[in-house]
Amino acid sequence: MINVTAAKIKVDPRDAKLSMAHFFVAFTALALGGLMGLLQTLVRSGKFELPFGIGYYQVLTVHGVLMGLVLTTFFIMGFQYAAVSRTAGTHSNAARRTGWIGFWLMTIGTLMSATMVLLNEATVLYTFYAPLQAHWIFYLGLTFVVIGSWIDGAAQIMTYAKWRKNNPGQPSPLLSFMAVINTVMWIVATLGVAATVLFQLLPWSLGLVETVDVLVSRTLFWYFGHPLVYFWLLPAYMCWYAIIPKIIGGKIFSDSLARLSFILFLLFSIPVGFHHQLTEPGIDPVWKFIQVILTFMVVIPSLMTAFSLFATFERYGRSKGATGLFGWLKVLPWNDARFIVPFIGMVSFIPAGAGGIINASNQMDQVVHNTIWVTGHFHLTAATSVVLTFFGISYWLVPHLTGRKLTKAMNKLGIIQAWVWFIGMAFMSGAMHFQGLLGGPRRSSFSTYGNSQQALEWIPYQIAQAVGGTILFLGIILVLIIFINLAFFAPKGEEEFPVGEAENLSEKAPMVFENWKLWLGITAALILFAYTVPFIDIIQNAPPGSKGFKTW
Amino acid sequence: MAKPELKTNQKTQVEDRSSLKGTLASVFLLGLFIIVSWVSVYYLFVDRF
Repeated sequence: MINVTAAKIKVDPRDAKLSMAHFFVAFTALALGGLMGLLQTLVRSGKFELPFGIGYYQVLTVHGVLMGLVLTTFFIMGFQYAAVSRTAGTHSNAARRTGWIGFWLMTIGTLMSATMVLLNEATVLYTFYAPLQAHWIFYLGLTFVVIGSWIDGAAQIMTYAKWRKNNPGQPSPLLSFMAVINTVMWIVATLGVAATVLFQLLPWSLGLVETVDVLVSRTLFWYFGHPLVYFWLLPAYMCWYAIIPKIIGGKIFSDSLARLSFILFLLFSIPVGFHHQLTEPGIDPVWKFIQVILTFMVVIPSLMTAFSLFATFERYGRSKGATGLFGWLKVLPWNDARFIVPFIGMVSFIPAGAGGIINASNQMDQVVHNTIWVTGHFHLTAATSVVLTFFGISYWLVPHLTGRKLTKAMNKLGIIQAWVWFIGMAFMSGAMHFQGLLGGPRRSSFSTYGNSQQALEWIPYQIAQAVGGTILFLGIILVLIIFINLAFFAPKGEEEFPVGEAENLSEKAPMVFENWKLWLGITAALILFAYTVPFIDIIQNAPPGSKGFKTW
Repeated sequence: MAKPELKTNQKTQVEDRSSLKGTLASVFLLGLFIIVSWVSVYYLFVDRF
């Protein structure tokens, strides 16, 4: 019995190795992608030009692909693989082999796509919108990344299924349940991007077909693109719901509420892609309206999460004798990097979420669409809330997996890192938001647009972004120092993998939450409802297809 | 006599440990922030279009 418990407290070293393999790729992407981000903000300040004829848009593509697709997907798969191993038991040899196959496919695909981007054969930005046309190897590499991630995710599902089989009638461990929800959402969402790449972009870039239907490809992209952002966010929520309570010494406010909110994300993250296409002609406004309503449904689980987290903190604070309306804030462990780093991420999600509601509202989208406001928005959501939480996770998970300790010095450096990040992002993302409201465009290199008055007004904000970008780059250097230290140099020891317990243990999560036929059925029904009619309409009334363009 | 009794009463009022009034206030502040942001940009829209 003791052995069983011990085995579950520590991630098996064989599983740890696969998780760490993911993290090495993720942090390499962070290093290169971060440098590109710095270069972009410097170019946009108007004070700096790229050497050797390197193009701004190539740098932008490297930054977007490495940060948005590689860093996130590899970190998430590595983290979820470890979380399932820790809570549902060590992966079987078959599951682990599956995981390794997925990892290598993703890595090979990443190298293929990255090579084409670096050869300047695929400067199509991370959204790779048609009719911008990349080299076919870029698209084939992306296909490998997606298929690899399915196989990688299958390893988690196999171990979850094994746990369910061995524990009939029991709700699965919360972190495993959450990991599987996110994996399933990812698989359903990536069907869209797989469809556009396999049936449209690959044949078109190979020259098998001359033209591409741009609106169909963009619609399939955004069918994937919105759940993609929730695929980034849900692992952060896993940490906030199920790990942070243990770190602060409190309890999960409600296990069932956490599960319900994850199910709502599965249902409402996908049939909402049109809110990224509100300004696009060719989509019936009625269906845009319906998808905007579905988008606003996501506000419900987001606010459930906010409530649940505040409640966890307040309950813990009051158990420590805190009084008054906000006295509980004072007793939180402000000197623990494992808490404060994700906590800054949580706080950043307040303006990030508010901005998201603005973006998704049809009228307000007319104010901010394609402006750098949107870039500012996802640098708060993905590049602050999500990645600060990922950094916070890695500060205990990396030493846990490598058999080392998070030392006091590294804990302190982690806290400094998070504040450096917060300050840098306040400058950069804040300036992006304001410049966007003044009409400054996103996805564009420095230009004074013929010295137009409006464009000249943007320049101070662009300089503020360069200041913020420079501070953020210092933050990235600090993260890399900590990561390398924890992976190779920190003293040997035992670092805890914290897993929270629910406050009310007698409250068993309803088994209906594990009824995958039901949830996948509703997910499919919502997707078919939201997409079938407008998609038929898009295809039937399609304009002539477009040939490929290379603007770089 | 009445005054000391009142004081004693106040002292024995212990705050309920299960109180979530801070949480309630926090989510209200959060909601208010969302509404203020939304309305501000809405006015920008009305002003411009």
